[in-house]
Amino acid sequence: METHTNRRPGEIVFNAALFGFSLFMFWQAYQISGFSALSSAGAFPMAMSAIMIIASAVVLVRSLRLASPGEGWSGFRREVLPPAVVVFCLFILAYSITLKSLGFLLASFLFLLVSIWYLERGRLGRTLLLAIVSIVGVYVIFRLVFQVVLPEGIIPERAILAAIGDFFAGSK
Amino acid sequence: MDALSYLFASWLQPELLALTAVGTAAGIYIGAIPGLSVTMAVSILISFTFGWEVNHALALMNGIFMGGVYGGSRTAILLNIPGAPAAIATALDGYPMAKKGEAGNAIGLSTVMSFFGGFVGIFVLAVAAPVVSEFAILFQPRDYMLLAVMGILLVGSLSGESLAKGIFAGALGMLLGTVGLDPMTAEQRFTFGSVELMNGISPVALMIGLFGVSEALLQLHNLHLAAVKQKVDKIIPSFSDLKKYLPLSLQTSAIGVVIGALPGTGGDIAALMAYDHAKRVTKDPEVPFGQGAKEGLVGPESANNAAVGGAYIPMLTLGIPGDAVTAVIIGALFIHGLNPGPLLLIEKPDMFWFTVGNLTLANIFLLVFGLTGIKIFTKIIECPKGVLFPLILLLSVVGAYSINNSLSDVWWMLGFGVLGYFMKLYGYQVGPVVLGIILSRLMDDNWRRAIISEQESLPAFFYGMITSPLSAVLFLAIVLILLSQTPVWKAIKMHASPRLGRG
Repeated sequence: METHTNRRPGEIVFNAALFGFSLFMFWQAYQISGFSALSSAGAFPMAMSAIMIIASAVVLVRSLRLASPGEGWSGFRREVLPPAVVVFCLFILAYSITLKSLGFLLASFLFLLVSIWYLERGRLGRTLLLAIVSIVGVYVIFRLVFQVVLPEGIIPERAILAAIGDFFAGSK
Repeated sequence: MDALSYLFASWLQPELLALTAVGTAAGIYIGAIPGLSVTMAVSILISFTFGWEVNHALALMNGIFMGGVYGGSRTAILLNIPGAPAAIATALDGYPMAKKGEAGNAIGLSTVMSFFGGFVGIFVLAVAAPVVSEFAILFQPRDYMLLAVMGILLVGSLSGESLAKGIFAGALGMLLGTVGLDPMTAEQRFTFGSVELMNGISPVALMIGLFGVSEALLQLHNLHLAAVKQKVDKIIPSFSDLKKYLPLSLQTSAIGVVIGALPGTGGDIAALMAYDHAKRVTKDPEVPFGQGAKEGLVGPESANNAAVGGAYIPMLTLGIPGDAVTAVIIGALFIHGLNPGPLLLIEKPDMFWFTVGNLTLANIFLLVFGLTGIKIFTKIIECPKGVLFPLILLLSVVGAYSINNSLSDVWWMLGFGVLGYFMKLYGYQVGPVVLGIILSRLMDDNWRRAIISEQESLPAFFYGMITSPLSAVLFLAIVLILLSQTPVWKAIKMHASPRLGRG
């Protein structure tokens, strides 16, 4: 069922990494209980990692037989890691790192603002509006309706919500 | 009488009715937007429904599943971009119809045929599942193990580039499923001394990463593809058309149910097989296939929605998901404390009949929403991907975080997202990984039970496998799946059926 005759850039490295990972996992599976019994805790993981070794070896050999893409690093950057993917991944990474310290609201707002602005290459005003509308929608649906607990961070959300609640309770 | 009350539970309770309606409508739009898959939506959603009652969670998920399988056909017809893999075959004749100015007719016909197919699938689910369930009680641990192997192999072989890649992905999922403390002996497996890993890897984080994050990253490759606009009118199909195509719809619905019920296969394969069937049985189409033949639309659309009901059969009766979406739904059922398998129908008949009734309701909503709101729909699918993908990522992060209120699940999700991105790029399927992690426990437990009952003797295990009729059939099926991937078999197939070879 192989559908391509040319190797994709980086394909050998990826397949070799999977093969290496399979070998490592087999070794780790062996460490659980060795070949002590067929019903031991390590028997099934050993069988699975052995299957992974065989399958990844077959895939690796097949990919070695395919014609080289011949475009080197530039082909890899264009087809596998184009700038949009790399930059977006960095945004996600930054978002995950700051989620706890900045809190859901601020970190998510900044993530949406920066990533929509980068991907859409639009005007800042429109991006700002989209980010605010999105974050308000997500917050109302998930935090207030579904009661999903999210990191609070530096914005005292609960105090603000309580103050709003008190205000409306007081006006009754 | 009891069963009947469960059957209509979601019809009579306003909350459940609303959730089913919202789910179906959302499913149609999610399924229609290229890059957003139903599996992605359901996997992100289950983390938000942990705290809900199981019926509420099921109502939403059933609606999304039913609507999503149909939704892909709309963009296949209007833009020639199937919103979901199940709509690939629909694009072959749907888009040519739209180019001729018959987009409305194509959408109307596909909606009604999806409704019809969906109904056939649900009917078979209601009739066949109790029978399969009774039969499944006879299954030995060895048979469960073989069924799980068959499911993984089917996913790997039918939907991927190569069987080796499918097998690798399935085994990887199985291995990931063993991470943590062994449930039988409490020994640590792949924990590397980490306390967090003793609880295992969260299947939900893995699903969100593999289906949601990886797909969003992959879609960034085609960020600025311009949409083609079509004129849409005359949605309601004519009675003569419905009468004419109903027999074909019935045949392809049957194909859909059977393919959907096979562990590991789904609507996409059902639709392609139904398209091929429609081509073979239609002697004189008004318009040639590939140029706007209505039969080419009726076949796949009936089959992919019929496959929904079919996919629930192995999930509810054997605990083995019929496709990727049911793999995610089965994960949700486990989280809600339910144990899908042969005893489910005996212990929780209410859940089974609720599912049947709820799917029927979702199918009716599909017909209503499918034939209305086309103008809003055409606006929504124009939503720029640059806005959509950051939002998907945001929801994925919220979903992963809310599993245990822990950032480590977010890290797992992102890790699997990146892994899934590379896997998809290099032709590996991520479906078998998810199926593997779901089936890992079932396979591990049943392997150990089977081998202990044979006093740890491998020859006795294999002897039992070929002498028990059920095990022998399952074993033979596995051998056939493996053989079907060999060059010799393919050469025989091409020789026997040159038409299929031309595709």
